[in-house]
Amino acid sequence: MPHRREGIEIFARKPTAVVAGAVFAAFGLSACEGPQSAFGATGADAIQLETLFIVMLVGAAILWVAVNGLFFYVTRVHTTSISRRLANGVIIGGGIGLPLVVVTALLVYGLSIMPDQRAEGDGLVVKVTGEKWWWRTEYQPLAGAPVVSANEIRLPTGSRTTFELTSERVIHSFWIPKLGGKMDMFPGRTTVLTLEPVTPGIYRGQCAEFCGESHALMAFKAVVMEPDAFDAWLEAEAAPIQADPQAPGAEIFFGEGCGACHALRGTQANGAVGPDLTHLATRESLAAAALPMNREALAKWVRNPETYKPGVKMPAYDHLSDEELDTLAGWLMELK
Amino acid sequence: MTRRENVERQEFAEERASLWKLTLGPVTWAVHFAASYSLTAVWCAKLAAPQDDITLLRLIIGAGTIVALVVILLFGLSAWRQWNYTQTGRATHAFGDAENRHEFLGHAATLLCGVSFIGTLYTAIPVLVIGSCT
Repeated sequence: MPHRREGIEIFARKPTAVVAGAVFAAFGLSACEGPQSAFGATGADAIQLETLFIVMLVGAAILWVAVNGLFFYVTRVHTTSISRRLANGVIIGGGIGLPLVVVTALLVYGLSIMPDQRAEGDGLVVKVTGEKWWWRTEYQPLAGAPVVSANEIRLPTGSRTTFELTSERVIHSFWIPKLGGKMDMFPGRTTVLTLEPVTPGIYRGQCAEFCGESHALMAFKAVVMEPDAFDAWLEAEAAPIQADPQAPGAEIFFGEGCGACHALRGTQANGAVGPDLTHLATRESLAAAALPMNREALAKWVRNPETYKPGVKMPAYDHLSDEELDTLAGWLMELK
Repeated sequence: MTRRENVERQEFAEERASLWKLTLGPVTWAVHFAASYSLTAVWCAKLAAPQDDITLLRLIIGAGTIVALVVILLFGLSAWRQWNYTQTGRATHAFGDAENRHEFLGHAATLLCGVSFIGTLYTAIPVLVIGSCT
């Protein structure tokens, strides 16, 4: 009784298929929200890309349904022999004419928005250098001196910011999905990307080109602000450190030689190997978004960075006592 | 040389020619493609700044496209006549005799010219919507 067996097998497989489908759907849907999703775009470029995606999807769906519909019609619905005229109509109309019209429309639409994705910036330039595995940033406003920072991108709404991207050693890729497309960063070469944020908020950027063992931990927060708030932030960011350089935590910082790798503007610490820490505590995250920005995380990070970012250049400071680490972390949290 | 040999020779000579004919449509498309892209590359790298207006380049490519399309159309018409569909109504050429081969090559060349025509049009669509080198 082959039929019955077949039926049982299909029945037996069904729940597995349903579960697998549901799991895939859940994975799919979970990627549709959150600060790093390209859906629910908050930048002019990403909004355009989202529309492009929908348009392409609709075009593909129309083609798929129509072509397969015709195939279904001639193989399942109209199974008797058909006239040559109808056959030619189905093959030429459905196989050539329809795809030609739909693909041409999609091509013209896609090409027409290409120049928008490469529009020129309005003035503010942010230089970003990909390091292993963090981001060196330098803001170059139209007026005023460049401001060096790290591991966070802040942008004003309502204007188009230019990113000049490069890399120190390996290829990285700069991507803030909520705001726009990605752009690769190459050692010894500068690539340019412009972004125009629309909605203020805190989004997430991520290195989008495999760059070594901590590639997945090379992320950053992208903070989009109203223009006035951005100007105020940039002014504060340009200032030297605001914390007391004589405090006990500062003594540990300088005594341990942290300044050989990290810069604190306004002090003798001027190292450029690691991220600038002048206004560390104003950032939304620590260690290129690998950890939250708080005292406990800072202490844990300094004690043993390798735990949180394999391959990191920063050595462990596990010879410091818990108390010393806490004092140091407390002072670092004052770097506002 | 007998008369029969002569006739066959003529037939083969024609088929050698129509084998080349098969490639004419796609070759025109390829030449148009390579010329359009290399001209644009040189123009944007050497002649124009990123934001410059490139109307002249667009007109040149547009004119080249019209020429390529006319050429493909002519090749297509010649192939269509060789296929001889309107007289014979044959879309398949199952017998493999000289006449069948002749028509088959015309049929294939017609279809290739159709694809080449569409391909050439698609190659040229960017000049309709893109106004600068960026």
